[in-house]
Amino acid sequence: MKIPRLLQAVGVIVGIYAGFVLVFDYLLGQVIPSSLLSMYMFFVIAGVFMVYTFTEESARELVAPIKALVEDPSKKRIRNVVFILIPLLVAGFTYQRMSPSFEAPVELRSIHPAPPATVKAYGKRYDLATLKNPFRKYEKAKPEKFRELVREGGDIYIQNCQYCHGDKLDGRGPYAAGLNPTPLNFQDVGTIAQLQESFLFWRIATGGPGLPKEAAPWISSMPVWQDFLTEEEIWKVILFLYDYTGRRPRSWEHE
Amino acid sequence: MRNFLKVLCFSLLVIGLFAGYSNYGIPQIEPAPPPVEEKLELGAMTMDKFIALGERLYNGKGTCTLCHNPTGGRAPQLESAATVASERMQDSRYQGTASTVVEYLYESMVEPSAYVVAGFGKAGSNDSESPMPDVSAGGIGLSDAELKAIIAYLQDLAGTDVTVSIPTDAAPAEAEEKTAEPPPAPRAALDTPDALIAKFTCGACHKVAGQVGAIGPDLTTIGATRDKAYLRRSLLDPNADVAEGFMAGMMPNIYGTQMSAAELEMLVDYLAGLK
Amino acid sequence: MMIKPPASNGKTRRVRKAGLVVFCLGLLLGVLALSLPGLDSGIAHAAELADTGADTATYQPAPKLTAADYPTIKGVNSRIAVWLAAQLHLWFAAFVLAVPIFVFIIEAIGMGTRDKRYDNMAYEFIKVSITAYSFTAILGGLLTFLLVLFYPHLFQYMSSIFKESMFYYALLFFLESATLYLYYYGWHWLQGGFRKWVHLSLGLLLNAVGTLLMFLANAWVTFMMSPAGVDPAGVFSGDAWAAIHNFLWNPINIHRVIANIAYGGSIVGAYAAFKFLSARKSEQRAHYDWMGYNANFIAISALLPLPFAGYYLTAEIYAYSQQMGITLMGGVFAWLFIIQAVLIGTLFLSANYYLWCGMGRSDGAVRYHKYIKYLAIVIVGAFLVWFTPHTLVLTNEELKALGGPYHKYLGPLGIMPAKNTAVNIMILFTTLSFIFYRRANKVATVSWASAGNAIQIALFTAGILNIFFLGVYHGYFTNTVYKVAASIPQVLTTLTIIVTSTAIDAFMYRGAKQVAPLHWGRVSDRSQYALFLLAVAFTWLMGLMGYIRSGIRQHWHVTNVFRDASPDAFTPGLGYAANVVSVGTILFMAMVIFVFWIADVSSRKTAADAYWKTPPA
Repeated sequence: MKIPRLLQAVGVIVGIYAGFVLVFDYLLGQVIPSSLLSMYMFFVIAGVFMVYTFTEESARELVAPIKALVEDPSKKRIRNVVFILIPLLVAGFTYQRMSPSFEAPVELRSIHPAPPATVKAYGKRYDLATLKNPFRKYEKAKPEKFRELVREGGDIYIQNCQYCHGDKLDGRGPYAAGLNPTPLNFQDVGTIAQLQESFLFWRIATGGPGLPKEAAPWISSMPVWQDFLTEEEIWKVILFLYDYTGRRPRSWEHE
Repeated sequence: MRNFLKVLCFSLLVIGLFAGYSNYGIPQIEPAPPPVEEKLELGAMTMDKFIALGERLYNGKGTCTLCHNPTGGRAPQLESAATVASERMQDSRYQGTASTVVEYLYESMVEPSAYVVAGFGKAGSNDSESPMPDVSAGGIGLSDAELKAIIAYLQDLAGTDVTVSIPTDAAPAEAEEKTAEPPPAPRAALDTPDALIAKFTCGACHKVAGQVGAIGPDLTTIGATRDKAYLRRSLLDPNADVAEGFMAGMMPNIYGTQMSAAELEMLVDYLAGLK
Repeated sequence: MMIKPPASNGKTRRVRKAGLVVFCLGLLLGVLALSLPGLDSGIAHAAELADTGADTATYQPAPKLTAADYPTIKGVNSRIAVWLAAQLHLWFAAFVLAVPIFVFIIEAIGMGTRDKRYDNMAYEFIKVSITAYSFTAILGGLLTFLLVLFYPHLFQYMSSIFKESMFYYALLFFLESATLYLYYYGWHWLQGGFRKWVHLSLGLLLNAVGTLLMFLANAWVTFMMSPAGVDPAGVFSGDAWAAIHNFLWNPINIHRVIANIAYGGSIVGAYAAFKFLSARKSEQRAHYDWMGYNANFIAISALLPLPFAGYYLTAEIYAYSQQMGITLMGGVFAWLFIIQAVLIGTLFLSANYYLWCGMGRSDGAVRYHKYIKYLAIVIVGAFLVWFTPHTLVLTNEELKALGGPYHKYLGPLGIMPAKNTAVNIMILFTTLSFIFYRRANKVATVSWASAGNAIQIALFTAGILNIFFLGVYHGYFTNTVYKVAASIPQVLTTLTIIVTSTAIDAFMYRGAKQVAPLHWGRVSDRSQYALFLLAVAFTWLMGLMGYIRSGIRQHWHVTNVFRDASPDAFTPGLGYAANVVSVGTILFMAMVIFVFWIADVSSRKTAADAYWKTPPA
């Protein structure tokens, strides 16, 4: 049996929509942003419309059921139902879009801003391009000392950081739900694995207020840790972050 | 007529869609307003403030970070610009005339092609021509004092001693603007010589009251060699007698109008007492 | 199209020869006119010599203004008034300059094929543009008045530098008008043999003068963007040629000539579409369908190379000033290019749709129907990639779900290599649509037809693979330097495929057998709306790009030389600009409707015999 063209077209559109959601949200595990999806669908619908109407017969077939619905006396009942349903759907959609919600307005904000070349902390100036973790060298030279440092870093993390960043370092600490932007998930491949240790030092030491202008507004609730932790403590925490997640800090040198 | 209306509605719908998308489909970013010319208060400037001013200019009005940043690779990094300056001046490719670090840095900003760091020249110029504009002119238009502030910032950034001096004479245009302003309310008289010295930042140039400026004469034992009349004259008219080894015209000629008579006498007494 | 010219006898040959001489003379004159800028510099040089003799300090630096230096009229926003006047002037000017270019080409085709339909169509095109010509002049006058009124210091400064070119610009308008009127009103008079050649030469002269006018005006605009011939304080050196021949002059010239042709084609297409919709008789429908098809063909042919001209212009802006380039492509204006992508995508989609609908003119096209959906999938797919923004707009929930603003799979689509690849694919498949359209009605009869087909398929496959390889490999697996460099071989691949396959097609279908007669006029009303969409989208897009071209100067009248101190010196946001552009587009449409209506009225007659006294016998 031949499927009516209108049904075909609707099927294709719904299929593509479902395909986007399925592929991105479930198969790839990265949701497709609704703003982008609506733009995608707008042009997909335009494309489907183009394919289904470029010949006269095809266009007529596509519109025939709609025409019949409006004009055919035998379809009076279904017509009445549709004519009531459509305004209701539009009203419902409009209401949903217009009703105020508790969601904060969308903001464009880059979470990994370009770091400054140098940063001032602890009354000193650090050059982020050459700054290195002073404890990193023990990893190969004195493994037992390194383990000790990592353990100390873990203690500092549990005492200070896990409330937001979580005891599994996955950004799901007890307070995480209340924060926007969400605390960083260090387990994710896109976070600390992409960064040098000096970047982490900068972000930890100067916190939200240390963000450059491009990352404004300063809504990050990351504290300015140089007021609470010593320089060495920060470096130890950084050791712990990489150790626990099993990631390597990014480096421009070949190992 | 029916066709006309149909076409009209269609076209208006299309325009409406475009406008709607531009207004609601994309985030609205408000472009930064045109920059406002910042007035420099050089009279009351300490070196720390001067460096901070340089940093502000470096990141803001000077638009330096647009290219001098670690991500773009468009221009060399400047953290060690002040330390490598002396090597650069020895380089065979150096075209400029600078002999000190300050002169070199100044020259690099107003005449960027004098020395082009290898790899950062204009395409095809084989590093003989710099893509950088003269920052004292055109759209950036930094004043002489602002350039010096940036030099101070760069020297601080490199961790070397800041050898550039804070310029004292404001640009004439700014002076005009200042006279046009309503006269400031008279300030309360200061009652100790230390407060006076701090207020007028004598220590920026002179070695006095625990501060160690080196531009003007050392004042720690000035009372031993100079009398009150000489000191009073030096404050009221700095160029009347210039101490040996120092340049005329360095000290601002403003204290006669900015200090009250009581303050002046108190300062003269204080200095005469330093023996 | 393939009507053989009548066998020429001795007399016509002689006439044609004489005509050719006139034509060549015209060509020479055109070239002379084109080299006028050089002449102009000579004049400027002379003027400069005279100046230096009398007084060396004639030129003042650019004035430093305050908000009080800008006159205001209550209730009038001076910036928006100037903006709209300039934009409307530009739209009409683009149209008026473009039409003679393709009228000239169509007339020449008509002369070559001796097909009267081409001549009639060319005449109808020029008829439409004649009223638009006076609108251009009126709006140009309005713009000048507004500038003198609201920005007197700027106008004075500009005219002190461009005094010669402004003077000759004004004088050249006499020549332009004279040529245009002679060309239009003499159309029916200058017919046949020698006279037709004279007429064609007039067309060439018209184009030469028109282009020269535009180049002069471009010099003023580009001087404001990339000033030359002045020192940093704005003191003019006296060398008018240096000021004219500034950094962005040639890139803008090229970009505008190509864009004008595409734009003119789209407007004439809309005119034909409207006439088609209102036509009652079938031969009228056939005529306007044919006219719309040709207009669309012109628009698309010019649209295909336009992105490349745009790349050239952008590259030159970067070369002139990195700061200006970064302002253009990053930060505030970055989203403008997403809007631009949506608009250009709309242009491509509607142009393709028109071609597909046009296949209905022939019964032979059914063979190709099954391929259309694949074309659509690729073009829409490439388009989706093209407008995927680099910075995604995310709700807070999505941010949480993604764990940050970075999207692993959509992120890579936001950067240039993906977009370059997508646009090249889109252009290639549009070309394919056109090839299908051309083949719809024909069957190749040459012996090597199947081999030719195979070559074309191989060419497209290899080209597409190459574009993909360049885009993916250089875009994602090499460092930044190669990312941008890969776009050039991509563009070259695309151009090679277009040129080669069109050439193969032309040879292969020489003397091809027609499957079924081509029925001009047998096309849906729907397809005509694609032509309207093309015209409206083009107009709006030009307005938007006009805003950014001007906007990247930010708070400068003349970049880095002459600061804009007016209260309107701020750079408007995108929504604000889009609203102004929309209002401008609606105003322009209203005027264009008037222009079309007037062209129509001139051929109407009302019989009012009873009104007039019968003349005494």
